[in-house]
Amino acid sequence: MTLTINVTVNGKSVSADAEPSTSLLEFLRDVLNYKGTKLCCNTGECGACTVLFNGKPVNSCVVPAADAVGAQVVTVEGLADGEKLHPVQQAFIDTGAVQCGYCTPGFIISVKALLDRTKRPTPAEIEEAVSGNICRCTGYAKIVDAIALAAERMEGSTLGIASGGRS
Amino acid sequence: MDYFKPESVSEALSLLAKYGNEAKIIAGGTDVMVDIKYKEEPGCLVNIKRIPGMSAIEESGGSLRIGPLVTIREIETSKLVRERLPLLWEACHQFASLQIRNTATIGGNICRASPSGETLAPLLVLGAKAKLAFSDGEKTEPFNSLFQGPGKTSLGSKGLLAAIEIPYPPKGSSGVYLKHAVRGPMDIAVVGIAVLVVPDSAAKTLQEARIGLGAVAPTPIRAIKAEAMLRGKPLDSKLVEQAAQMAAAESSPITDQRGSAEYRRWIVEALTRRGLEQTWKAATGKEVA
Repeated sequence: MTLTINVTVNGKSVSADAEPSTSLLEFLRDVLNYKGTKLCCNTGECGACTVLFNGKPVNSCVVPAADAVGAQVVTVEGLADGEKLHPVQQAFIDTGAVQCGYCTPGFIISVKALLDRTKRPTPAEIEEAVSGNICRCTGYAKIVDAIALAAERMEGSTLGIASGGRS
Repeated sequence: MDYFKPESVSEALSLLAKYGNEAKIIAGGTDVMVDIKYKEEPGCLVNIKRIPGMSAIEESGGSLRIGPLVTIREIETSKLVRERLPLLWEACHQFASLQIRNTATIGGNICRASPSGETLAPLLVLGAKAKLAFSDGEKTEPFNSLFQGPGKTSLGSKGLLAAIEIPYPPKGSSGVYLKHAVRGPMDIAVVGIAVLVVPDSAAKTLQEARIGLGAVAPTPIRAIKAEAMLRGKPLDSKLVEQAAQMAAAESSPITDQRGSAEYRRWIVEALTRRGLEQTWKAATGKEVA
């Protein structure tokens, strides 16, 4: 049985077919060719496949593509403004928070969601926001620095939480 | 695999009647999608997400009615839940990652009937009732008879969870959910304990204590013998110790990769003790004597 999925991805309306068992992750990567979203554990535990689903971070590997009908989905490809990277992406580069890079798209989406709901996250909120994202290079300190830096830049002020003696 | 997206409870029920054990209900999908990938594809998937009227948290008299499609995150961020049912809030706050909490539903957590399901011991202790819809009518089932084994509820293959009703705990009571897991909220509970104490008005004796045990029996259970030991008694450290040991004896854990049965009993004892001490102090302002 084939379903027709009408969905908005990164602001663009698209329509394509999927099986009822197809995950949103497979649909994004293999049908729509958005390869920025990564396949890793495929069981909803590691966060590499995180996308925004109607503004909220979800693990796209455990969301049925069928549920995306009528939804707004944002992947890592949807953050940059032309050639200009999103402040969260730029902060990850500037703090050296990218090692092998495989977990990075998932982290960046989780952080985008955090900064959409909280302009001035506390260190505890930062850690909670990415607790569902696993980095096997274990570069967590730099990632937390990147989040604090992105928050500061987006707020246009100094929160005093970036590079809190971590590096 | 057949796929249906019923738009009413009765339509869903007729699909369940037609397909029987072949049918699998899917809501959030965080468990079902994994089963489809790594276990087996059901003959028929019944997606209940679009059934109206099952996604609200509503106050009705002295209780809260939660629709089965409400996500764990919606419960965690509900002011009503935070104020009225802090015990349920606490369990939802310790429930996996934000990504999963945004997707998983309370109905899925209940119907999955995993002994370690995060919300189950708290719901048992809160005296929650499940509204079950069958083709011949609705039935109200208390949580202590809802679970029949790992993955089994009294819904069987023909019923649909329609709502969860949770009475507000008695005035002056205090509850806590304590989860023991290696990786905090991200991990499946090795042991999860919900404790609710109701002191008398003079804060001298325990009018009532309720203890729910998760992940240490084929279903989440109440430690009814430990509860009976505590009822009507002044709480002192000796009684706390006895009740904690009784709760451990009432558990029947298995040994698996997360912990041995013996280890789990120790944790039940430790968490029951801690839960009683913490809730007594929160409710009365006094340490256990």
